Amino acid sequence: MLVFLLVSIFAGSTAYASNPINVVDDLGYLSDIEIQQLQARIDAIKSAYTLDTVIVITDDTKGKDSTAYADDYYDYNDYGLDSQYSGLLLLINMDIREVAISTTGRAIDIYTNNRIGSMINNVTSLLSDGDYYAACNEFINNVITYADYGVPKGQYREERDPDLNYYNPTYLQKVARMLKLWPVYIIPLIISIAATLIISHSSKGKVTTTTRTYEKGGSFVLNQNTDQFIRENTTRTRIQSQSSGGGGRSSTHRGSSGRSHGGGRGRF
Amino acid sequence: MNSVKEYKCPNCNAPLEFNPPTQNWKCDYCAAEFKLEEIDTVHNEEASEQDMQELDSYKCGSCGAELIADATTSATFCLYCKSPTIIKTRFSGRFKPKSVIPFRLVSDEAKEIYREWISKKLFTPKEFKQKEEIDKVTGIYAPFWLFDCRADGMISGEATRVTSWRKGDYRYTNTKYYLVTRRGVAQYNRIPVDASKKLDDNFMFMAEPYHYDDLKEFSMKYMSGFMAERYDVESDEAKPTMEARAKKYMEDRLRSTVSGYSSFSIRDKNVALSKVDASYAMLPIYLLINKFKGKDHIFIINGQTGKVVGDTPISRLRQFVFAIIVFVVVWLICVFGGALIV
Repeated sequence: MLVFLLVSIFAGSTAYASNPINVVDDLGYLSDIEIQQLQARIDAIKSAYTLDTVIVITDDTKGKDSTAYADDYYDYNDYGLDSQYSGLLLLINMDIREVAISTTGRAIDIYTNNRIGSMINNVTSLLSDGDYYAACNEFINNVITYADYGVPKGQYREERDPDLNYYNPTYLQKVARMLKLWPVYIIPLIISIAATLIISHSSKGKVTTTTRTYEKGGSFVLNQNTDQFIRENTTRTRIQSQSSGGGGRSSTHRGSSGRSHGGGRGRF
Repeated sequence: MNSVKEYKCPNCNAPLEFNPPTQNWKCDYCAAEFKLEEIDTVHNEEASEQDMQELDSYKCGSCGAELIADATTSATFCLYCKSPTIIKTRFSGRFKPKSVIPFRLVSDEAKEIYREWISKKLFTPKEFKQKEEIDKVTGIYAPFWLFDCRADGMISGEATRVTSWRKGDYRYTNTKYYLVTRRGVAQYNRIPVDASKKLDDNFMFMAEPYHYDDLKEFSMKYMSGFMAERYDVESDEAKPTMEARAKKYMEDRLRSTVSGYSSFSIRDKNVALSKVDASYAMLPIYLLINKFKGKDHIFIINGQTGKVVGDTPISRLRQFVFAIIVFVVVWLICVFGGALIV
């Protein structure tokens, strides 16, 4: 029994059978040579970082939105290299000219919201120019860059509300979201209590005499006016690095397979 | 010699009253107006420097009815014939005021001010607002002690100046400490202190300031047509109130000369007052005391400047409703406005 457990753990950390085809171009935007070159670079990433990397170009997302299609494509086509199925997928959805990146496992932690945001910007700007091969190479460059950086300091995951998976929530969804935030209750409470207290206390009238009211004009003379320096001290504190802020957030959601995914999307 | 004084019209012998808008004396019957000097030629009798003996009762000079007056009431109206009457003994000797600021506001203006003021009170119960008490607004010359004094003050304390800058991965904060000392003198003139026990000290304080440009030498003629009280707080009793104020003025004045620091806290202070001089003056107020559920609510208008102070009962229900309305409005703005921005 113990031996079986050890074996399975050992096996789990090394040999996960993964889909060997990492570049899927349904529409023929890439030439065969380009696909081979991209596949070669991805194979290098897979062995160096144990991160699966997939590029899908399609115009048929089977009625799903880009995020859901990207998640499901990754989950149902045997991608992922370790026990957490770590890796990421770039979907270029030509139907609505949108890209989506879906991250899984360790890739969720490495590719935080900020990093995903800049990757999408880099990719969409090249796609807008119609340069598909360059966009794919840029994506792979970014994957390598951030994999080298590793997980940023202070990174944390945050389960996203299912509502927020929509990139452009409707006004009503935004209202529903506001209703769930505590400041919309605390701020009115503070303002209403303050207004009531101020009106109650100011109703009696104000004191309008000042220190000058009864002072004979010009009679005030300052006889002594000394400011004597005594001592000084200087302290220093280390400035906390930026990464502890919101920049370390990785938002996650669940795909139809039940696995947790991160990522983001953007139009071109 | 008569113990009460009435000022009569030289033309028709009807009672003369002081008229605030023109600052003259006016006869309501023949509509004649008289300047101060014109009345002086007819009525040259002034308040006596000597103490006059208090009588048990005073009789109206017009109709002979007995005047109903408190022990401190010095000018009033006859309950029966409404003639303005001044009890001379109560303005004589040590009770002779040195100066007076005549009324600027007429009674109708005061009533209008009250009406406007009460209508703006959000938390005042409706029953209180609807009480028809407005005719009880009374013009009163209130007794005050006006104090002159010289103040010698000193404050000292520790001030800090904080500067902060960034170098590399560190933020440096430098704090310099200074011993700051200020010493100064000032002359304070005519700090008023309420000299009547009947009137609430705090409201009288809030009704300040009076403009002393209008300050006149006292004459009983100004009292004609108004109520007046004489002091029942001796100047020695009023002095500590003035001293506390003068010391505070001096301290604040010195403190205001300390500038350019991040913080300043006083460690040591001392204000000495000298050459304290009190003079007795009559200052004008309009007063309304409203009884509501067993509690007196005072309303005072400065009879010279029109400044309003006073309190009204507060309805908890109205406060609560107001708070709820504000809460809901701000909440709606936050939710629907916030959703537009996010």
